[in-house]
Amino acid sequence: MTGDPDHVAAELRQLLAEVTGRPELVDVPPRTPLFGGGVGLDSLAGTLLLRQIQRRYGVDVAAEDLNLDSLQSLETLAAFIVDRLGSG
Amino acid sequence: MTSDAVIKCIVWDIDNTLLSGVYLESPEQPPAADPVLAGVLTELAGRGILQALASRNPPEAADYVRSVTGVQFAAAECGWGSKAAAIGRIAAELDLPADAIAFVDDDMLERAEVAAALPDVLVLTPEDAAEAPSWPQFSPAVVTAEARRRGELYAERRRRQAAASAFGGSRDDFLRLVGTRITIGRARPADLPRLHELSVRTHQLNSAGEPVTEAELTGLLESAANQVATLRLADDFGDDGLVGAAIMKGNGAGEPVPFVVTAPLVMMSCRALGRGALDALLAWMCEAAAAVGATELAVPCLVTDRNVPMRLALAAAGLRAEPGAVAPDGRAIFTRSLAGDLPVLPDWARVEATP
Repeated sequence: MTGDPDHVAAELRQLLAEVTGRPELVDVPPRTPLFGGGVGLDSLAGTLLLRQIQRRYGVDVAAEDLNLDSLQSLETLAAFIVDRLGSG
Repeated sequence: MTSDAVIKCIVWDIDNTLLSGVYLESPEQPPAADPVLAGVLTELAGRGILQALASRNPPEAADYVRSVTGVQFAAAECGWGSKAAAIGRIAAELDLPADAIAFVDDDMLERAEVAAALPDVLVLTPEDAAEAPSWPQFSPAVVTAEARRRGELYAERRRRQAAASAFGGSRDDFLRLVGTRITIGRARPADLPRLHELSVRTHQLNSAGEPVTEAELTGLLESAANQVATLRLADDFGDDGLVGAAIMKGNGAGEPVPFVVTAPLVMMSCRALGRGALDALLAWMCEAAAAVGATELAVPCLVTDRNVPMRLALAAAGLRAEPGAVAPDGRAIFTRSLAGDLPVLPDWARVEATP
């Protein structure tokens, strides 16, 4: 399992495009907010994304991040996952 | 392709669907068949509809289901891959188009994944499946008005799903394009049975995790201290009716205590998932609380792995809990200030007289 944040962020972009059904999101910049205007991640797409993350990395973001602040952007999400992979 | 095409094959989940429990949790004595769904299975198999399995279980689980239901399955996909892929293989194996397949699963996320990947598949909850034998898609000969309406609802959903898959833009653009209409209003006595039903049936999009009885709801409606707001959802594909609600109460204004509006219950049908309804309800709650002079909105929310979609919506609406502040009852209080910019109510939402 790789712990490189850029690599993880690239994989997350792919997952994001899949769960939202919007292929153009593979180009979303790492600091674009996931909630609200930028990506408009809603609770359905967000839950599917967290589920794919759990399958791929074994990291249960919802269980470890009460406020889900890690979902601020792809950058923060990748950092959260890399941190958990490193400490796990 | 027509959306009310006759179903030729039903793909069933096993855990908590065909079985009344989880197969692997008690391998020496697996759970019994769900009596209602086993009956549906037998009935539909008797009408010549093919039955298949797609389950996150070892292959022995399929043999076990076969033995307890006495039904022969035309295909069985057991494994840990995606169910959409499993259904794709079943369709190829049986040489059926996706719109001739129905999929039944108790897990909302499995249903959402299959609906997103295979928009032509008719995706059903176990409760839907229990009444499916009376729907035209499963029985061209016998059709009551109610059954036709329920069958239509799922056909509408399938058409909406197919249109969403074909649409290239953002979710909001799609919601506007299909004429999404959200109406938020004050609960009426006639809404009570539906509100009670929602409080029992919603899990993933439910903050309290506890049913509310009709008697309790009646008390809330009659009390001046509480507001019960309802949300109705419709679009050009169809009218889903009352799909969500929130109960709100103030702590009583008065210095020096800050005026906080608390919502002991926020709930939304999973039918509304992905259609902006919960985001709209939370945005309206912020507006309504600010309008009566509150400085803070608070939503106590049960923190479980089941209602993660509710927590995501709270986070998206800017509500946060104290880190680590989960009470012994499993709840954390998510709050947000009502000063400054509030979440925006979409322009397709209509607010009936302030509830």
